[in-house]
Amino acid sequence: MSEPKKFEAGLDSDSRKSPVRVAFVTRRTSPHVKAQDDALVMTWPETLFRAAVAIEVLGIALVLLALLWDAPLEELADPMQTPNPAKAPWYFLGLQELLHYFPPVIAGVLIPTMVIVALIVIPYFNINVEAEGVWMRAKQRRLRIVGIVVGVLAALFVVFEVWAILIPTLAVAGFMFLAAASSADSPDRFRRWLVAKPLSFWIMSWFLIQASVLTIIGTFFRGAGWAWVWPWRA
Amino acid sequence: MAKMLDTYVNDLRESRLWRSVFRSGTGATNLHRALAVQQNIFLHLFSVKMRRAALNFSVTWYLGTLSLATFLILVATGIPLMLYYHPSVPQAYADMKDLQFVVSAGVFLRNLHRWSAHAMVLLVFAHMFKVFYRGAYRPPREFNWVIGVVLLIITLFLSYTGYLLPWDQLAYWAITVGSNIMSAVPALGKKIRFLMLGGNTVNANALLRFYVLHCVILPLAAILFIGIHFWRIRKDGGLYTGEAKSHE
Amino acid sequence: MDLRRKVAAAWAFLFGDSARAFGTLSLVLVACLAVVPAKDHFREWSRYQTRYLRLIRQRGDAATLQRRFQPGLQQTWLPELGVVDRCTTCHVAMKETSLADVSTQPFRPHPAIPHSLNEFGCVMCHRGQGAATTVEEAHSSTKAWEQPVLPARYFEASCGQCHQNSLTGTPQLNLGRKLLARYGCVSCHALRTAGAARMMPTNEPPPLTHVARKTTREWIYAWLKNPQAYSVSATMPDFKLSDADARDISAFLIDQSTPYQQPDASKSSSAAADAQEGASVYGESFCASCHAVQNAAGLMVGGDVGPELTRIGSKVKPEWLGTWLREPKLYAPHTAMPRYRFSEKQLGLLAGFLEAKTDSDLLANVHLDAATKEQIAHGKALVNERGCASCHELNGIKKPDNFAPDLSVAGSRSLAKIVFAPGVPHTLPDYLAAKIRQPSAFGSALKMPQYNLTPVQVDALVTGLLAQTERAEAIPAVLRVAGTPVLKYDPAGKAGKLMQDMQCFSCHAINGRGGDMAPDLTWEGSAVQRAWLLTFLKNPNTLRPALIRRMPRFNLTDAEAQTLTDYILTAYQTPAFDADSLDSASFTAEDRERGRQLFYSKYACQSCHIVDAQNDKGYVGPTLTEIGAKGTPAWTFHYLKNPQLLRPGNIEPNQSMSDADARALTAFLMAQKKAPAQEAAKK
Repeated sequence: MSEPKKFEAGLDSDSRKSPVRVAFVTRRTSPHVKAQDDALVMTWPETLFRAAVAIEVLGIALVLLALLWDAPLEELADPMQTPNPAKAPWYFLGLQELLHYFPPVIAGVLIPTMVIVALIVIPYFNINVEAEGVWMRAKQRRLRIVGIVVGVLAALFVVFEVWAILIPTLAVAGFMFLAAASSADSPDRFRRWLVAKPLSFWIMSWFLIQASVLTIIGTFFRGAGWAWVWPWRA
Repeated sequence: MAKMLDTYVNDLRESRLWRSVFRSGTGATNLHRALAVQQNIFLHLFSVKMRRAALNFSVTWYLGTLSLATFLILVATGIPLMLYYHPSVPQAYADMKDLQFVVSAGVFLRNLHRWSAHAMVLLVFAHMFKVFYRGAYRPPREFNWVIGVVLLIITLFLSYTGYLLPWDQLAYWAITVGSNIMSAVPALGKKIRFLMLGGNTVNANALLRFYVLHCVILPLAAILFIGIHFWRIRKDGGLYTGEAKSHE
Repeated sequence: MDLRRKVAAAWAFLFGDSARAFGTLSLVLVACLAVVPAKDHFREWSRYQTRYLRLIRQRGDAATLQRRFQPGLQQTWLPELGVVDRCTTCHVAMKETSLADVSTQPFRPHPAIPHSLNEFGCVMCHRGQGAATTVEEAHSSTKAWEQPVLPARYFEASCGQCHQNSLTGTPQLNLGRKLLARYGCVSCHALRTAGAARMMPTNEPPPLTHVARKTTREWIYAWLKNPQAYSVSATMPDFKLSDADARDISAFLIDQSTPYQQPDASKSSSAAADAQEGASVYGESFCASCHAVQNAAGLMVGGDVGPELTRIGSKVKPEWLGTWLREPKLYAPHTAMPRYRFSEKQLGLLAGFLEAKTDSDLLANVHLDAATKEQIAHGKALVNERGCASCHELNGIKKPDNFAPDLSVAGSRSLAKIVFAPGVPHTLPDYLAAKIRQPSAFGSALKMPQYNLTPVQVDALVTGLLAQTERAEAIPAVLRVAGTPVLKYDPAGKAGKLMQDMQCFSCHAINGRGGDMAPDLTWEGSAVQRAWLLTFLKNPNTLRPALIRRMPRFNLTDAEAQTLTDYILTAYQTPAFDADSLDSASFTAEDRERGRQLFYSKYACQSCHIVDAQNDKGYVGPTLTEIGAKGTPAWTFHYLKNPQLLRPGNIEPNQSMSDADARALTAFLMAQKKAPAQEAAKK
């Protein structure tokens, strides 16, 4: 192979066969018009009926749920009587679990703000848009950076004794290094899949696993005084 | 039999009354189908044609549609619930008891509202992750992704404000814990909490504020952003179905 | 194969394309939604109403019952009481007295009670969740409503929410409240009934400021270890002290004791050991009215106002006993013990009699070495920790405020805040009972001591505590029935001092203050003749031979008796009539004879009273052989007309006598006295 091209030529240049459409696509651009050879269907009725079916399936499921299980209702609110543990709604229990580990400024403010900002800026970083496998280029340098970041984070979690975050972090890092150790032509499908994953994938997966683990711990594994309990023993 | 039914339905749809309501007429032609979408204020948010590939279940898992569905159920159940609810202490709790013990189907309404609310939070999160893993946030859809993030936050606040309304121990302490997290913001934390609760603790003022947020402000905001979200799907080139195949 | 094809065909028919799937699912959705009104229609309460209608159909008065039956949800809404009771939705026959024979709930009619169901609703008395319309939610403790329906055995507690007075229908509650005060519960625990002051203890724990004068360290040690060993009827609880702790506390108590502030006036009287005569002083002083002694059969003989005296000789020092009998206030300024004016001889005899009441086993095994400084310091720390000063006055230790948890709303206590001992059912009454019965089961660190209570007493105490609810606090003031107020009536002057000295209020009530062991003396000045009162005070002889308790002899001097008589005759006059309005001189022999006939025939007074000691056999009321010397004519006349007017609660029947009858009877009674010559001499 010669050195990689900076661009790919478009579809067809035979003017007698088809209308000329030439596009020069570099790796750093993202054209708004792409080859469109997919089959089209009418929105009505194809899409709308399918959507209606999906909505109805969900509707039936929720109606059955509502018929079979009653929504919780406890005693009248009493500011003088704090339940132990007092738990936030389930989607905030990950946050509450974080508060157990870190000072409020970090867990309650810094981390959620960072998450929201990170979510918003995802599509504005070219590295995300290109979605190139993280180990495809500058592998050694990136390995060093990732290694240092993971090491610092791990050390931090060890200091704070946050095993619930440390373990998923190390697991994700492990898979990242497994990806680094695999080649794009590996006979193993899983490894080929891993290699192709960009940095944003790894961070998002780390966030997803982390959020799930913390929420589950907060929901099921925390009892009086936010102490660890086994739900099946309660 | 089926044919007769068909004729009746077609006759009905060709009647003056029907046509005065639905501008598009009947007919199995693509023109009529296009009109059906185009001539309807709600449906015209969609394009007339869509890529067949976008309809595959694996592409979207219909998570966006289902998120909308939960929102619709919540509006539909929320309005009758409002008829039985007073945002005052301790009447709010007494209203829960009335819903449970006296109001016809009151328990069902509340159950459906509650479970749908949980389902909505779950589905919106799932929708976000699905969009991310498929890479559907990439240009030109980057702004729609941002709107999606806004909708996620609105959803969380809708659920959070609704959580207080039963005014039971569960509600009260969940909101107290939640608002305490907020007060950790440096310098402004206490002020933000005061603004949110209308006081330093969760009390009758907080209930009223949460009620107004839950029933008026946040739903309106959600409707606005949902509208933009759908509109942008169409404007940004329809549902993302994956990378264009490279032709070499 | 065929089946599979059929299933496939059916699937294609139902879900073949999205339009078909939409149609099919729409039907499923509608079917699911149809369950909602169906579920609503078959709610629990409607089943009970159907059953009720079936029940009354077979009865004779079916038509009436059916007409009075109101279908659908019923509720009693009393906003000022915070009551929304829907109980009558299922308990449909509350007011149908004709269904009294029905025993199946929820169809039994409510038994007759003094209150209207419409005015008070149900949960005011029964508790539970009135707003609920399901059996489970209404009656049991659930996540949404902690307080279940009150068990029948504690039912009187609900009356106590409004009624702070004692009702005749609530003996258990009355006993419970009495015990709370009597056993010193309220010395450590604050207990306020709504709108009333804090409940005050009625036991009189002795001050320990001079305890070393009274008893020995060994006795204190034995007492601390087991109060019941000394006195079965002791109200002092067992603090379950270790030997070392009891040793140190006894060391501290002796150490903190000081000499009397006033110089000890007593010449130590020599105890004279004449059992016979001693017992007679004990008897004629009526010590047994207040103090009990365990007899050979193990039965308690005597009153429970003062401490039991069975083993008094093993407890007190002889010199202390002498001083105490002569001048009780010297040791305990607030004691209820009257100051008898014993002669030296009587003192010696009584002291000797009491000192002989010993129990050699009591201190046989108690050997204490001299106390060290550390032990005393440790003892002091323990006394602080155990809250001894909540009941007993001590030198150098202040009475702690709120030593134990406030019990003012103990009947509304949240179960979530309670740590249950293993094996105790998770209900409030069970918790209270278990805690009172055996506090140590709830943790060895608990300070609450072990009381020696019978099951009846425990139930009564639980009832008393269950009456202390938050609902009681919120009840409108108009509904509250206040308890008997504790009046601070203190007679003034010389006579007042005398009355305090003799502790008249321990037995007699005057102007709302005082005990109920002896007659109310509020209007005594109108009731008795001066000469009689003077004699009576000097030497009380019983008016009611059937009673064991009677007025003791206080050995008053003439001057003292005079002062007291003057005071009573001036101060305790009723405004209802003029004591001089009727003169004995105006009665004729005819009047007396008519009165005699009325006494024996029309009103048959002899069934309870005696005028002729030879023939009459009435022992219920006081003997009237001397009534002519005792009562004033005006009093007798008005008393006959309405016995309850002047002595509320008197059991003498109101005969609605005419004035003429009453006058004649008065004339007859006024003639009942010893030889007139004797009386004339007195005048």
